[in-house]
Amino acid sequence: MEARPALSIQRSGARPLSNLGVSGGLSSSLPALTTPLEETYQKLSDTQQVSTDRELMTRPLVHATCVPTNSGVVGHIFSSSSGFSSDLHFSSASPHEKHSRNAPFISQSPTDATALPLPQSSNSALPQSTISSHFNKESSGSWCTDPGFLDFPVNTPIQSSQVESNSCSGIMISEDFSKRNDWQEWADQLITDDEALASNWNELLVDNNVTDLEPKMAYQVAKPCTTMPAQKPQAQQQLPSPSVESRSVVNPSSSANNAHAKPRMRWTPELHEAFVEAVNQLGGSERATPKGVLKLMKVEGLTIYHVKSHLQKYRTARYRPESSEGSSEKKLTPIEDLSSLDLKTGMGITEALRLQMEVQKRLHEQLEIQRNLQLRIEEQGRYLQMMFEKQKSGLDKLKVSSSNHLENPPAPPSDATKESPAKSDLEASQMDHVNSGTETVNANSMLESSSQEIVAKQKAPETGDLEKAETCVSESSSQPSKRPRIEE
Amino acid sequence: MKFGKILKQQIEETLPAWRDNFLNYKELKKLVRLISSAPLLSAESMEYGKAEAQFVYLLNNEIDKFNVFFMEQEEDFIIRHKELQQRIKRVIDTWGPDGTKPSETKYKDGMAKIRKDIVDFHGEMVLLENYSNVNYTGLAKILKKYDKRTGGLLRLPYIQKVLQQPFFTTDLLSKLVKECENTIDEVFPVDEEDRLKQRREAITVAGKGIFRNTVAALLTMQEIRRGSSTYGHFSLPPLNLPDSDLIHSFQLSSPIPIL
Repeated sequence: MEARPALSIQRSGARPLSNLGVSGGLSSSLPALTTPLEETYQKLSDTQQVSTDRELMTRPLVHATCVPTNSGVVGHIFSSSSGFSSDLHFSSASPHEKHSRNAPFISQSPTDATALPLPQSSNSALPQSTISSHFNKESSGSWCTDPGFLDFPVNTPIQSSQVESNSCSGIMISEDFSKRNDWQEWADQLITDDEALASNWNELLVDNNVTDLEPKMAYQVAKPCTTMPAQKPQAQQQLPSPSVESRSVVNPSSSANNAHAKPRMRWTPELHEAFVEAVNQLGGSERATPKGVLKLMKVEGLTIYHVKSHLQKYRTARYRPESSEGSSEKKLTPIEDLSSLDLKTGMGITEALRLQMEVQKRLHEQLEIQRNLQLRIEEQGRYLQMMFEKQKSGLDKLKVSSSNHLENPPAPPSDATKESPAKSDLEASQMDHVNSGTETVNANSMLESSSQEIVAKQKAPETGDLEKAETCVSESSSQPSKRPRIEE
Repeated sequence: MKFGKILKQQIEETLPAWRDNFLNYKELKKLVRLISSAPLLSAESMEYGKAEAQFVYLLNNEIDKFNVFFMEQEEDFIIRHKELQQRIKRVIDTWGPDGTKPSETKYKDGMAKIRKDIVDFHGEMVLLENYSNVNYTGLAKILKKYDKRTGGLLRLPYIQKVLQQPFFTTDLLSKLVKECENTIDEVFPVDEEDRLKQRREAITVAGKGIFRNTVAALLTMQEIRRGSSTYGHFSLPPLNLPDSDLIHSFQLSSPIPIL
């Protein structure tokens, strides 16, 4: 299947994440890299690291897509660039957006360009799209973690763009480490796909007819470095740890590789405590230096840039309240004038504040509930999907042996709504089974009532019977709805 | 009301300064329309794949944007939270642990100012939570739209990824909010008697500032979750606020920028 190879390319891309620190450097030096990459590709094809080849292969793709003006590119892969140019064109309505988008466009191209050949991914099983979408984030983040970054042979032809590569490695570093959650699974999946890829890379490379990239690309690459997306500090890629727990740990390699960029770090109160202590030990926020604080804190992976920016924020936060504490009238906006008036009249302000708190508390509460609901819904969705696929695989087996089990499908559905009743049935029945660990009774009853509501709305057979729901599900699977890609 | 409009309205009413940091729903919707209108017959075609890649790319950009902004704000909140705690301690100390009342007015002033600040701080944090949620909702909606219009299967796996993003994992923020609430309850216990007396005056005053923003946020949330034609099992149920009438009665003037 044509779909396969391209997809596998993607998947393999994620594989060498730990091996390939250089890709960050490569991606940045876009204009200069066209030919060097092809050369290096030949070099690399000899290397043991097959995955590396593929990684580099994404580079030519990147170039093509980066070019807004690139129109008639040879090779099917690169026709996607015209897709991108159209994207840029239609967004020209909002000029500021375009500009801001251009920068991240380029800088992220190394990571997200991998999304390009992923079209076919949707053809194959469902997880592919997950992989590809994950891949965007994953790959870039992990690239930087490679300790052998500087040793990589590919680096040599790219000396000229060293500066850019540095800045871009920053970009890479700053990509979301949180995506690494699934890194482990994907790595496994990727390993299995090695074979099919090699030949395809050759094809792609031959087709690579990258037009001249505008010189301004280089400039734009450098720019977004400082605004690059936040990274979520996590334990190094070994364990897919949930995002919440390892927040305070910053990826150690980021400090090694990151020369110029300021990767975003997720601060926690504990980390901040340590910071404050260190600052106090050094004689206060004014006297403390980032270097000193960094040394005192002794937190692995914390860079001086993190400390610097944090210190700056800290100083600002301290300065403002202190200056206004003495003279309460100092920074009053009209609103505050009004409230100070109330202060004189009596309790008005207190009551106002109390009311304000009420509303805020209410909003907070509702947001929490909503968030939990959303999580729950997606969880259900995932579970349903799993069930659905199990059903389908079971069904396929049945099909092979005998077709007696399949009921005649009712009137063919025009869209996917047929599945909804099945799903909601399933959901309703699952609600009974799965609902032991609900956090709030509210959310629980809301979800139940919503699913019941939905069932009533769609006039689906109202049954909590799991078996019947299963039948419905199997029915839907045999029906071609608007989901052609379920059928393989 | 269409979500795009709701979103716009909410941004304008609550956090116009944050406008650029919100989801670019309009653009994404345009793209979806573009994709669905193009003759992409075969789901396995290169064209389709390209389009999807493009879409995903945009989404990823948006998510990055959220993450950066969110984490920046979160960091600020962590710092300010601690500072407030310390400020409170300091002001309480001026009351005189040794029993003297050297500066009662100063204490009272200090306390009043702190009270206002802390309530506003609480409000800002909640608004950030709201930001996170609105964006998530927008993402979910646009993904649903995409799947519907193009027959794709992007939504489910992609949303799983979104759920783990920093901007959506608001546990820390939630914790801070709760701590804030606890602090307020401890330091500023509510006197029930005066409460009823002053309610009237309070309502007019309340129409300003952060309060105003949060009220708007609540109302918008209610609006978003009103019953829709595309109700599915992935939709949230309608929002039932007990104090809905009261909240609606607040006179909402122009939004206050958060500095």
